[in-house]
Amino acid sequence: MRKVLLVVQREYLTRVKTKGFVISTIIVPLIGVAFALMTGYLATRQPTQSFRLAIIDHSGAMAAPTQNSLDTKLPNGQPEFSVAQTPAAGGSPNDVEESLRARVNAGGLDGYLVIPADLSQQIELHMRNPDNMRIIQTVSGAVSQALIAERLQARGVRVTDLHDVLHTEGLKLIKVGKTGEAVERGQTLGISIALVMLLYVALLMYGIMTMRSVLEEKTTRTMESLISTVRPFQLLIGKVLGVAAVAFTQFAIWMATIGLLFTYGAFMSAMTAGSPFSGTHIPISLLIYALIFFIGGYFLYSSFYAAIGAACSNEQDAQQLQWPATLPLVFSVVIFSVVLTDPASRASIVLSEIPLFSPILMTLRISVQTPPFWQIALSIALLFLSVVVVVYLSARVYRIGVLMYGKRPNLPELLRWLRYT
Amino acid sequence: MDAITLEGVTKAYDSITAVDAISLRVRQGAVLGLLGPNGAGKTTTIRMVMNILMPDSGSIRVLDQPVGERTRDLIGYLPEERGLYPRMKVTDVIVFLAALHGLSQAEARKRAAVWLDRFELGAWGDKKLIDLSKGMQQKVQFICAVIHRPPLVILDEPFSGLDPVNATAVKDIMLELRDRGSTIILCTHRMEQVEQMCDSICLINHGRSVLDGELRAIKQSYGKNTIHIEFTGPEIFLCHPAVASVNRFGTGAEAKLKPGADPQAVLKAAVDAGAQISRFELLEPSLSDIFIERTANA
Repeated sequence: MRKVLLVVQREYLTRVKTKGFVISTIIVPLIGVAFALMTGYLATRQPTQSFRLAIIDHSGAMAAPTQNSLDTKLPNGQPEFSVAQTPAAGGSPNDVEESLRARVNAGGLDGYLVIPADLSQQIELHMRNPDNMRIIQTVSGAVSQALIAERLQARGVRVTDLHDVLHTEGLKLIKVGKTGEAVERGQTLGISIALVMLLYVALLMYGIMTMRSVLEEKTTRTMESLISTVRPFQLLIGKVLGVAAVAFTQFAIWMATIGLLFTYGAFMSAMTAGSPFSGTHIPISLLIYALIFFIGGYFLYSSFYAAIGAACSNEQDAQQLQWPATLPLVFSVVIFSVVLTDPASRASIVLSEIPLFSPILMTLRISVQTPPFWQIALSIALLFLSVVVVVYLSARVYRIGVLMYGKRPNLPELLRWLRYT
Repeated sequence: MDAITLEGVTKAYDSITAVDAISLRVRQGAVLGLLGPNGAGKTTTIRMVMNILMPDSGSIRVLDQPVGERTRDLIGYLPEERGLYPRMKVTDVIVFLAALHGLSQAEARKRAAVWLDRFELGAWGDKKLIDLSKGMQQKVQFICAVIHRPPLVILDEPFSGLDPVNATAVKDIMLELRDRGSTIILCTHRMEQVEQMCDSICLINHGRSVLDGELRAIKQSYGKNTIHIEFTGPEIFLCHPAVASVNRFGTGAEAKLKPGADPQAVLKAAVDAGAQISRFELLEPSLSDIFIERTANA
């Protein structure tokens, strides 16, 4: 035990003292803050210019009510739309549209609406950027209102102020959870994605750090001197724990930074005002579960990476051999949208119980829609059980691998190593 | 009490038997030369003594205890493959390894300073290993092997890469350790070093111990069967039927006699042939000759 602690101590001190540690500790939160600032800025940034829309109305009844409905204002007080009616009779329909297309391409117009004479046919919206959902939704709403008004009048219903009658405030989303209800403005998705990315990056980064650390003794041949006093198992455990201590130090610094930022709330709220994340509340149970799954995932993946490092004798070989550990991590991220859309589906449940995926996918399920407790408990139990198994196997590979130099072992050789006494 | 006792120790890797039923006793305070051609099984034997590998059969005792966790700390080891953490400071590496061997960090720091001074590395304690020359790094590694005053020291090619001054310093320290009661195992291919340093040897070939015992007794058992002769003139007498093999050199030759042959007959043949003899001496065989003979026959 004393020897393990000595290894942990050396591992920790030499790593924490490196420039790389200092730089990554400072840089990562800076990138995070820059990212948050940028998101906040982009989210709060509104268009300042009106959308210039032309309307060709072949029916003759739609143009005016549509134009009346497009009365929304931009935050700077400008109207959101500047609408011009184009007489449909000024030439053949193709000529009119041709000239409008030319104006759109020349930049004098942002789009035009074509309303057919027969209102049972589709109405067309031509625009340069058909991805602008906000414009499309507003125009679509205005056209619908005009159409409804037109049909009501055709049935003899007299409506003086249709706009007020049809106006709605839209849906307000409220997330129901065990801890109560919370107004949903997209923060569930935001937190889920942030958690998944954080876990993925952390597991990958510290896993590879462990692999490198395990390789260090072999590439430098320090192992030869060490094995006379330390058992390979002690060294392996010391290295995994040492890197873990580094990881938690770094995390603690980052969390403290975030805590400080939240404390100086003015900064935070100024930064995120109007963005979906303002006033976001992260449930404490989610944080605790995330921590448990991070710890379990860290030990699972780092001992997996450690075994790879143990089997190889140089970094190049290890890089080629690291895919079996990296693949399940990448898979967890690739598959996460499946779990996000339907966290209670059978596929989600099964995937979130499998140890290599559970650190990311179970945390994701908990953040989206807390699953039954037995599922969480089973997932945690399986995760930590597999940690024990992987650590044991890694130690066996390491015990043989520490003294093997040269050719990278293939799978049958690795299996034989596991049997050696 | 014996420093090391091996009884019928065997170790096989898959189909290759690296060590085959070796039995060996090393007296406490001895300087044992562990010899053998490349791949003979020396490293495997050492690793079993250090409890890194487990023998398939047979028993190993170190200082009267069965090998295990407790015997590890009784051993100091200088591996043949050199290398220490290149980016750590010299003193930190020494203290780390000494602490692993059971010293307190404070004591380790104190001893490290003394040792560094002794090897004229006092000014380098705060430098990183990577900034040191190869010879300096080797001295640091030697310090790591002996700083905890182990009762059993295993040194694999300790002199390779050292200049004569440092080689002498290492030699002096080895003798000093021996005088304090440590047992030393010296693995090397340099026979003249074994003749200078060791009082007993164990020669391993193909995993088997082919020769072991007190160096003096072994050499005596061969008898004075070698003629060292310096001469000028005809050398036809070297083809005398009593001569088994000849090793020529500039001023003369070394001739090994057939068993029971009379050296005087060769001398007479030389005189009769008209050679001008400036030196004629009867010698025990060199360790190098014994080594070649024992490993070539097997």
